[in-house]
Amino acid sequence: MPAPCFTLFERLYRHLSRHRKALYAATLLVIALACFAASRASIQEDIVAMLPDDGSNVDLDFRLMQLAPFTRNIVITLKSEEAGDTAKLTAATDRLAQALTDAGAGKVTTGPAAMSGGLFGWLGSRLPNLVTSQDLAKLEEASAGPEVRNRLRQSYERLLSPEGWAVKGSIQDDPLSFSALGLEKMRFLNLIPNMRLVDNHFISQDGKSALIVVESSAAMTDSAASRELMARIDQAVAASVPAQMSASVVSGHRYTLANSETIKRDLWVVLTLSGVAILAIYLIFLRSLSAFWVFLIPSSILMIASGAIAVSQGNIFAVTLGFGGVLLGMADEYAMLIYFYCRQGGKDPATITGEVARPVLFGAAATMISFAVMLMSSLPGQRQLALYSMIGIVAAVLISLIVLPHLVKPAPEGKLPVGKLDLGWQLPRRAVLGVWLVILGLCSWQATKVRFNGDLRAVSMVTPELLQAEEELTRTWGDMRGKALIFSQGKDLESALRLNDRLFARISDRVPAGELVSLAPLLPSEEKQKENRERWTAFWSDGRVERLAGDLAREGDALGFTGAAFTPFLSTLTAPPPAATIEGLKEAGLAELVDSLIIQSPGVVRVLTLVPDTPQLVAALSGELKALPGVRLVSQTRFGDSMGDAIIRDFSRYMTITSLLVLVLVVALFRKPSRIMLVLVPVATGLICMFGIMGMLGLEFNIFNIAATILVIGICVDYGIFMVCRLSGESDPAASRSVLVSGLTTLAGLGALALARHPSMHSIGVTVLLGVGAGIPAALLVIPALCKREVK
Amino acid sequence: MTRNLRLMIACVLLTAAPGAAGAETPAANSAALFSSLERSAGGVTTLSSDFVQEKHLSMFKTVMSSKGRFYFSKPDRLRWELTAPVASGFVLKGEKGRRWHARTGRSENFQISQEPVMKLVSDQLFAWARADFTWLKREYRITVLDEAPAALRLEPRSGATAGFLNHLLISFSADGRYVKSVEVHEKDGDFTRIKFLNTQVNKPLKAELF
Repeated sequence: MPAPCFTLFERLYRHLSRHRKALYAATLLVIALACFAASRASIQEDIVAMLPDDGSNVDLDFRLMQLAPFTRNIVITLKSEEAGDTAKLTAATDRLAQALTDAGAGKVTTGPAAMSGGLFGWLGSRLPNLVTSQDLAKLEEASAGPEVRNRLRQSYERLLSPEGWAVKGSIQDDPLSFSALGLEKMRFLNLIPNMRLVDNHFISQDGKSALIVVESSAAMTDSAASRELMARIDQAVAASVPAQMSASVVSGHRYTLANSETIKRDLWVVLTLSGVAILAIYLIFLRSLSAFWVFLIPSSILMIASGAIAVSQGNIFAVTLGFGGVLLGMADEYAMLIYFYCRQGGKDPATITGEVARPVLFGAAATMISFAVMLMSSLPGQRQLALYSMIGIVAAVLISLIVLPHLVKPAPEGKLPVGKLDLGWQLPRRAVLGVWLVILGLCSWQATKVRFNGDLRAVSMVTPELLQAEEELTRTWGDMRGKALIFSQGKDLESALRLNDRLFARISDRVPAGELVSLAPLLPSEEKQKENRERWTAFWSDGRVERLAGDLAREGDALGFTGAAFTPFLSTLTAPPPAATIEGLKEAGLAELVDSLIIQSPGVVRVLTLVPDTPQLVAALSGELKALPGVRLVSQTRFGDSMGDAIIRDFSRYMTITSLLVLVLVVALFRKPSRIMLVLVPVATGLICMFGIMGMLGLEFNIFNIAATILVIGICVDYGIFMVCRLSGESDPAASRSVLVSGLTTLAGLGALALARHPSMHSIGVTVLLGVGAGIPAALLVIPALCKREVK
Repeated sequence: MTRNLRLMIACVLLTAAPGAAGAETPAANSAALFSSLERSAGGVTTLSSDFVQEKHLSMFKTVMSSKGRFYFSKPDRLRWELTAPVASGFVLKGEKGRRWHARTGRSENFQISQEPVMKLVSDQLFAWARADFTWLKREYRITVLDEAPAALRLEPRSGATAGFLNHLLISFSADGRYVKSVEVHEKDGDFTRIKFLNTQVNKPLKAELF
């Protein structure tokens, strides 16, 4: 006796058959309202959808990585074919910079701003605030009698040279070149390893390349804005770069554009191919005007799911729309089952609806469970995707069971095209099972070889041109964007700088010379500056100033200097110096650098230190820095590993819980162990073959494969349920036909994505192609082969 | 530093200038004078000269004198050599340069473009030698003090330069082909005078000088 919930649909059919116009109108109204709601939704394109929002390290690390110097900028390398003529190169750089500015590309930088004498003066006057004990040891040597003679003579000779015109002021202020101690600290500010300054331009060591940095307000995740920006930049490059030079542009915008263009091209190819294939499938297997309604269901569901998400959540992630649309390609399987039973006829449509409701609802329940598990994901994009898919499945079931039966008329004499499609009932049982077991064994073995790749770049399109430009950038300028970041965070600048001082003291000996970038030597905290000043004052007390004054007077007299020539200098040794401040450093010409390394937002100040991103150093520093609360190390290589771990963790959790819940559902619905096993044959076969073939082909498992795997589970469980639900030991032509045709449309629609160039689409396509591609024959051939025995 | 650089550049340029000038002047005949100097400079291919430098700096008890030799060859070669009280100097040859110092025994090559000071020095030095009056007009207000022989007073236009450099006094040889003396007057009252002696025009110069 049918369960009440199934007879509900039978009764509903009978009731609505008298109000069909109202039913169609209400359906159209729901779809129209959903379209309206969907059109009001704002689409969120950024990567945040695929980052954990559970407060884990991965999420925070990713956000912090965006604060690294050059990450948000457009970096242009202008390269000359001829080495040596830097004048031509800098002139071309200026022309390109001007063209970029005129084109409205953003703020263009070709070299340090106002890198003039201001910095040297600043360093000299702030020296007492900056000196360390090691510096004072050097100062002791520099202020000893013989060295005073030597240095003063050098200053005297410089005054006589043509250069003397430029250095008179600085010699008066610092005749013994004490401020060289300050200059030494500049080595900690080398953000671009292979760069030298030529005529205030960033020039490569080989003199062939110039660097231009553009800061644009265009969001990197906005594909339309990125397209416009890149067009402007390309136009400026084409108009101003001479024939003997070339410009390569590296920017997140370029990646966005490459991804967007690739997806567009892929969609065109895939939709064309899958459209033709699906049309061919419909023509071959359906051949009826009422098949048009089956065809319409997935697109209606897409609208309903989008509208519901728009109303409930406001924003829709682009990944939900893109991937969700693909997921709902499976929605036609419920419609297909109802369609074939209705076309097969032989019974009252209301009765057919009631009977088909059982496998449809069972299948939908299993699929819903699979997606419900994904609601536990730490990735907001995956959670929204799960909700989106669940809404879509509910809509697909309701439309398929309530509306579709009224639209599909029985075929004449119940004859369906292509004849019998239930090969499984005709093939030799032993042969089918033998081949199946061999394949399962082989794939189980190969499945262990599948590797997980958590790197977000693995699902991003990187064209050969972009890859080449990245390699060229690193080859020319060194690893300017690949350093590990250490943030010293405080509630205000002073607390952040204090932490930065402590950080520098801990790691400066651990990092190879020239590879540590830190502001600490040039901009210590006020507390540290006070400590340095006190050390300076103590150094010059105890008669040192008097001794130095005596030495200077004696040596200066010998060279013709007046007795008062160095009085201002001597007075600076004991006078309170002006504080070293952010504003002062910026005015001295280091504004860009300071802005890159100090990130201020309301209530939070972060001071950034850069170190080489090597596994050994990162591992060593990670332990070391635990002793400094508020300091956080962010490594790009470690981030990839963390993402990989998160994916494995998520995937293991999904698989375990989904498997258990689906098993519980199947057990509750089918009870008999043999039937339960039969239902699970397609899904088990699909998953094992999917992993096995991926392992065999050396394909990696990424973040998109996870969601696609859930899809494979949902679809293949449905196939099992469809085949087993009405199992009577004999062929059920409508069920076999439904599984075959909906399976083929799924492969044509989703499997065609395997042809896509874009890694994420390709991943989805491969997963579905392998999983569903194996699940279909398992359902159509293996279940009947096993079933024959079971019925006996 | 910028101010100092500009002062240095201006002075070095003027000391090496082969008698060229040209810019605004209220005098009606200044244009003719500038044209004449321009023509004269155009005819100079090499210059060699002794010089005596007097530094009237408040840092020193007395006037500090030094002397040396100066050579220029069109289009882009220049040698500035101090012989007393210390032997030192530099050579510029296109984009490349070399400096030396007798006391320390050190000698080093350099790329002009990598040294902002030398880059500015050489750019502007050669601008004078090649009679690039566009640059001069942009940088200085020029007043004609005397026409025969020509004497000019140059005041910097840039506020930053004017912050420490008051003016330059340049006097030319009677035929206007080379500079006879340069005075650089600073804001603080210090000044430097360089006198060029025994100047020889268009005399072949040995290649090893550069």
